[in-house]
Amino acid sequence: MTAFDFPSLVWWGLPLAAVPLFIHLINLLRHRRVPFAAIEFLLASQRKYRTRVLLRQLILLALRTAAVVGLVLMLAQPRWRTALGSFFGGGRAVHVVVLDDSASMRDRSSGGGLGDTTAYDRGRAAAARIVADLAAAARPAQVAVARSSALAARTPAPSQDPQSAGRDDGGRDVLPAATRVPEETAPAGAGSDAAVPPERDRRGADDPGGSFDLPLQAATPATAGRVADELDRRPASFRATNPAVAIDAALPILTAGSGTERVLWLVSDFRTRDWGVASDVAAATRRLAEAGVTVRFIDCGATTEAVAGNLTVERLEVVGGVPAAGVLVPLEVSVRNDGVREVQDVTIVLREDGSSRPGARLAAIPPGGAASARFDVRFAAAGSHLVEAELPSDVLDADNARVAVVDVAERAAVLVIDGDPRGDGRTGDAFHVATALAPGAGAATGVLPRVESPRALATLDLDGFDSIWLLDVPRLDPPEIAALEAYARDGGGVVFFTGPRTQADAVNRLLHRGGEGVFPLALAGPVDLPGKAASDPVPDIVVEDHPVVAVLAGRRNPLLDAVRVDRVMAAAPLAAKAEADGGIRRLLSLRTGAPLVVEREYGRGTVVAVLSTAAPTWNNWSRGNPSWVVVLLELEGHLARGRRRGAEWIVGEPAAIRIDDATDGTEVDVTTPPDGQVIRLTAIAAAAGRTEILLPPTESPGAYAARWIGLDGDDHERTIAVNVDPREGRLERVGREGLAAALPGVAFTLESAAALGGESDRAGGLPLMRPLLALLAAVLVAEQLLALVAGYHPVAPRSARRAARPA
Amino acid sequence: MTPDSRRYLPPEALARIGHLELRARAVVEGVLAGLHKSPYRGQSVEFLQHREYVRGDDLRRVDWKVWARQDRLYVKEFEEETNLRLTLVVDCSASMDYRGLGAALSKYECASTVAASLAWLALSHGDAVGCAAFDDRVRAAVPARTSRSHLASVVGVLAAPRGRGDHPAEATSLLPVLRSLAESLPRRGLVIIVSDLLGDRDGLVPGLRRLRARDHDVAILHVLDDDELDFPFDGPTRFEGLEGLDEIACNPRAFRDGYLEALGEYLSRTRQQAAALDCDYELIRTREPVGAALVRFLARRASLVA
Repeated sequence: MTAFDFPSLVWWGLPLAAVPLFIHLINLLRHRRVPFAAIEFLLASQRKYRTRVLLRQLILLALRTAAVVGLVLMLAQPRWRTALGSFFGGGRAVHVVVLDDSASMRDRSSGGGLGDTTAYDRGRAAAARIVADLAAAARPAQVAVARSSALAARTPAPSQDPQSAGRDDGGRDVLPAATRVPEETAPAGAGSDAAVPPERDRRGADDPGGSFDLPLQAATPATAGRVADELDRRPASFRATNPAVAIDAALPILTAGSGTERVLWLVSDFRTRDWGVASDVAAATRRLAEAGVTVRFIDCGATTEAVAGNLTVERLEVVGGVPAAGVLVPLEVSVRNDGVREVQDVTIVLREDGSSRPGARLAAIPPGGAASARFDVRFAAAGSHLVEAELPSDVLDADNARVAVVDVAERAAVLVIDGDPRGDGRTGDAFHVATALAPGAGAATGVLPRVESPRALATLDLDGFDSIWLLDVPRLDPPEIAALEAYARDGGGVVFFTGPRTQADAVNRLLHRGGEGVFPLALAGPVDLPGKAASDPVPDIVVEDHPVVAVLAGRRNPLLDAVRVDRVMAAAPLAAKAEADGGIRRLLSLRTGAPLVVEREYGRGTVVAVLSTAAPTWNNWSRGNPSWVVVLLELEGHLARGRRRGAEWIVGEPAAIRIDDATDGTEVDVTTPPDGQVIRLTAIAAAAGRTEILLPPTESPGAYAARWIGLDGDDHERTIAVNVDPREGRLERVGREGLAAALPGVAFTLESAAALGGESDRAGGLPLMRPLLALLAAVLVAEQLLALVAGYHPVAPRSARRAARPA
Repeated sequence: MTPDSRRYLPPEALARIGHLELRARAVVEGVLAGLHKSPYRGQSVEFLQHREYVRGDDLRRVDWKVWARQDRLYVKEFEEETNLRLTLVVDCSASMDYRGLGAALSKYECASTVAASLAWLALSHGDAVGCAAFDDRVRAAVPARTSRSHLASVVGVLAAPRGRGDHPAEATSLLPVLRSLAESLPRRGLVIIVSDLLGDRDGLVPGLRRLRARDHDVAILHVLDDDELDFPFDGPTRFEGLEGLDEIACNPRAFRDGYLEALGEYLSRTRQQAAALDCDYELIRTREPVGAALVRFLARRASLVA
């Protein structure tokens, strides 16, 4: 079967094939009359050569007609589209249409204002139009259509290390992809797919076409209709999909087979945040181009480059304190302004467990900046509590709401390891720490300290503690060190107080280990702080820039002025280098410039070292100074923040919910947003003796509540918050110049979805241009030869030839 | 010289022939006095009268029989002094009207020029010249005379069939014409047929045989247009026969080869037939100079005599 690149030329041009015949007929009508004497010889010639001449004329006419037909066909650029043609010329044209359905595609910007349609609506129509054009074209093509969210659900983002767990740049817990995409352990018998992409239930991750709404198949009118229906049925997701993932997922399909023309259509809103010069998507696009794939970008963003202002709830989190029943918990909501003008008087609607509460108000948010508001929440009962913040509607509603889950305990258990084997009563370190964390009746801090010996590190389940405080511990055994380090790596907070019993050598060798261990810095040994004159106004403690001591920063604090430090554990000289490298952060310093309190990240947790005693042995801070209590409570909240943030996820991530008081196989009902549908999952045993359920990649923002019956027979509930990635609210468009800068040397076309024409049909099949050209040349040569033979070409007389010859 | 004679006697043709000095064939035609040897010497002299001998007369012309009877010297005077009777037979059929594209003369105009030139040449040498114009029959004719003024009569014959318009040109019929000429010519002589020989191709050979049977020396000047010889026609053309109702619409390029082949065969056959009957044959193109054609013709005859 032959198809044409320009089929209309065939219909317009083929009638020209009759031109030679018309010319012949016209010539018959306009014979010149010549009286001739020797007509008898002409008649003799006609009698003798009539058949030959007639045959020659017919051949000549056929050749001229063939020349016209050949010229027309050549201009129409035919292609041979049979399987044989594909075999010879690789004529199979493969088109993959990737529709970006990330949350930013819900943008309703239009001409700098609010429009009726979203970018996704335009992109959906463009994708359907592309398939319809391919189906309507005279030339066959194979087409596959996928939404980027479906492809992203199949493939881990290239920027993430699939083998390592850790903390993402937002401080949230992330699981290894192998853990977050547990195909082999995916929950069986899920009752609903409201929040779960159905592709994942029925398609394997290794199936290159499994995540496609339209797997690769011939583009037909029926196909086009099916794509339109399928896309109409699918709203834009709330995910933050990386276009690079979609491109990489499409690449195997595009490059499969040989000799094909391959086209990738990426229908997206092309936000600046995704198209940096060194971005993943730029690299993925370059891989496409290197594989010979034609890259066509269809821009379905707003018709103007100016984007209407968009506000995003960027952050909603507990910013201190201890989330315990009856305790005031401070939360902070942060709103970013992605517009080009300052936004004033922004009201934030707040809800606690679904009930409205007094909202927050932001006086002004500068363009490109953010503003925050703090508010306190007190939860009466233990359990998972929801706090929601919502902005008024704007061009992108998906990022206007945010939900946070506050896991409120009756009391936040804190493990205090006392290094004094005698337990010195009211004078020891443990007493001063425990008293500061839990002063007693009338001052509810929500903290429940539990004082234990070092051996408890190896015998207790450390996972149940908000933080672990080690007070002048002379030495830890390897099992205790291992348990402590595992706790810290898993997000736990650890505080070391040093003192007379602290052995610097043992700490350096067992706990610091050249930076590999949990202790933040190497120690040199105890030293006395140089004395100072009574009139010297410089306090012994200097406050550094750190949120834990932020309440003491700023103006000179008389409470800190009263603190006297006599002796400290000096840091080894190497610690200065580690500090300079950025691994160690100071909270408090001494007036000599030496560190007093330092912090270092360890795994997903935080470890703090206080280079003096908790008891008023080497200093007098804990002796009746209120700032001691404040700093310790702030420190406890700071250390526990990692564990509390573990309950917050981004839409699209396969979230894990920790199931307490349960065993492997416990059935858990999960209520999913937005309509409260319930899916039943089975708990599995996880690392460190935990039990958890693994949610497939989430599709909707909101609270996912897991309910189960614990081993004690009681009902348990744990909720996680799933939010839209706030980066989706950055609606700045990259534009053609930005794309060109991001993709140097990569050939691509950028077209507007609104201006998308019917020229999406690209070549397929074996191009017949060259053979046709050769055939046409042969026909013309044959015609000329035949005409030469049949014609009369007078020869100049010899005298004329002689005259024309140069002298 | 009459206007007609100017028309048919191009000066350049006369000048070229005058330089070459006509050498007539001695064997058949005889030689003009002082230049030619003739096998028919004295037979053609017709006695006119006697007159008394005067000083200076050629003694060979003295009639010695009269001197013996009367003892007085008389010389013989003859009515005419010639050894050649030239008869020009010119075709004036319709086919001779053809004039090719770019040609200055039609075939008949060319043939008339050739005939008049020969007549002038012969008369200038004192030979007798007769002329006949024919198509299917003899349309006009004058007997052979030696008078220079006879040239006007010859020219009149050549002009009459075309100028009078009292009858349309007909197809050529050579056999009856040549037969009648053979019977009407009183003495043997040179008969030059100037024609395109189209039409009655079958009558040529019998007609020539009749002339040769009467011991006439026969020469054929075959006049054809260059277009007839080369057939340079192009483009759709409807050819209409000049001597009949035949016509053919065709692309002439397609039939050129066949035409040239048929014409070539005919010319070759005609030349062979003429040679077989011991007749001179010369093909004259209408676009070549008439003088050149005559020189070629006369030179060929001179070489045959030598």
